[in-house]
Amino acid sequence: MTIAQQMFSAEVLKLRRNRGLLAFAFLLTIGIVALYFAYGAIRHGGDPSQYGPVGGVGGFGRAVHMLGLYFGALAAILIGTEAGTADLSSGVFRDLVTTGRSRWALYAARVPAAIVVTLVFTLAAFLLGTAAAFVFADGQPTPDATLILQSFGWIVLANAVVAALAVGVGSLTGSRGLTLTAVIGWQTIFSQLVLNAPSLGSARDGLLSASLGQLMPVTGGIPFVMGTGVTVVVLAAWAVVPTVVGAWRTRTRDA
Amino acid sequence: MTTTQNIIETRGLGKSFGQRAAVIDLNLTVPQGSAFGFLGHNGAGKTTLIRMLLGLTEPDAGTMRISGRPVPQDRAAVLARVGAIVEEPHFHGHLTGRENLRVVAAARGPQAIGRIDGALRRVGMSDRADDRVRTYSQGMRQRLGVARCLLADPALLILDEPMNGLDPGGILEFRTMIADLTGEGRTVFLSSHLLDEVEKTCEYAAVIDRGRLVAQGPISELLHDDRVELDIDCDDASTALDLLDGHPSVTAAHQTPGGLRVTVTAAEVAASINSRLVAAGLSVFRLEPVRESLEQRFLEITSRVGGQS
Repeated sequence: MTIAQQMFSAEVLKLRRNRGLLAFAFLLTIGIVALYFAYGAIRHGGDPSQYGPVGGVGGFGRAVHMLGLYFGALAAILIGTEAGTADLSSGVFRDLVTTGRSRWALYAARVPAAIVVTLVFTLAAFLLGTAAAFVFADGQPTPDATLILQSFGWIVLANAVVAALAVGVGSLTGSRGLTLTAVIGWQTIFSQLVLNAPSLGSARDGLLSASLGQLMPVTGGIPFVMGTGVTVVVLAAWAVVPTVVGAWRTRTRDA
Repeated sequence: MTTTQNIIETRGLGKSFGQRAAVIDLNLTVPQGSAFGFLGHNGAGKTTLIRMLLGLTEPDAGTMRISGRPVPQDRAAVLARVGAIVEEPHFHGHLTGRENLRVVAAARGPQAIGRIDGALRRVGMSDRADDRVRTYSQGMRQRLGVARCLLADPALLILDEPMNGLDPGGILEFRTMIADLTGEGRTVFLSSHLLDEVEKTCEYAAVIDRGRLVAQGPISELLHDDRVELDIDCDDASTALDLLDGHPSVTAAHQTPGGLRVTVTAAEVAASINSRLVAAGLSVFRLEPVRESLEQRFLEITSRVGGQS
């Protein structure tokens, strides 16, 4: 095993041994999808004339939407924040620096570890949602393979970018509380308000949620249309800039 | 000039935080294979020096060499064989002791992972290695911190107040471990305020006061003083005082609660003093040179420097 692989494995170990973090991530992904379909199935079973089936393409789309932009993103933020701040808040960062290993290498191990742990949960929830979309279709059209694959890819992209964003901001601030407040506030509250404010026009194109919503393969994305070039540039900027800033701060931080 | 016998050498080292000078023109030499005590009051600059040696903060002036190599230029190669505890050992509380070592070993390389079990055994932590660190006592954390240092197979261990939180038994074990480590040719650089422990553990020491190095060398030399004093316990202290008043080798004498303290020109004078007292019919129960402790010497040195400033 190379040193980079060992460091990645150590980062994953830190995250997967954090029971509280894993419990929240489980609830926000698998738990929410299970709850959504269970509640919809019970409601449909109780009064089919009033409430349609929870499965099918519609239910699948809502599950994908939840995982990509809301609850999956929340899990990604929790995990990314923990990966970005754990060494600093525990004081272990100093001990890692005194090994002589470059700070770039220390930072570089955090990002993929956060993404991998995030995707374990969101992809498990996605598989559950996909299965439920078929099980609870009750005669409604079900998602085809293309839509499933596109949705899979989009969820991977959306959650990976948000997890990397949280690692970057966490490494920048060094504070778990500040990072959670800032990133959750920005991504799930402020961005949603701005997205639904037509008076802001193309200024809304700069939001991460806008570019992710534009690329979302199911209905319910953003209430305006962005050009493909702008979408790609904005998404790339949100993926790269916080990561670079976090790496810079890790390198320059007083240990 | 760098010699292979010195594992740490600093020349003209300086570091300031704003207007406050933390380390001033520091020239420190630490012999290889020794236990070296680094002494100073709180805020004297001990931890700042350690942080500079480990590349945690940059010096404003001067040069440093560890194992003959310049730091921070060769920092990565140098630190690969250095184990350090700065201020106090920190861990991820939700991980076990073994897992915490694995996290740091991963950054050190494959050989370090192979040293985890041996390091835990050496500090007596094998039994608790699979418990979460948040359940550890302060003393156990100190031991685990040393185990983490050993992952580097270190030529140099830098330990900042390593005996904090250890009970008397733990301190004794720690002292033995340091002796074992130096016996293997490793150097232990020990920053401590426990002067008695440094005196018992280390062969060399340096004293830093207000950022300046005020003394360094073998502890036996640091304790050496030009004055030679004798403590005398006899059956009639006031008569003894009168008798010694005219002795040509006695420069000062005064009564103490236990008898007399006499300042003489040389240690060899003790025999003639004893003869004079016995010849005068006094019973001498005890006559021994006063041995200054490192603590007394440290307080003398630092108060003298403080008085000059």
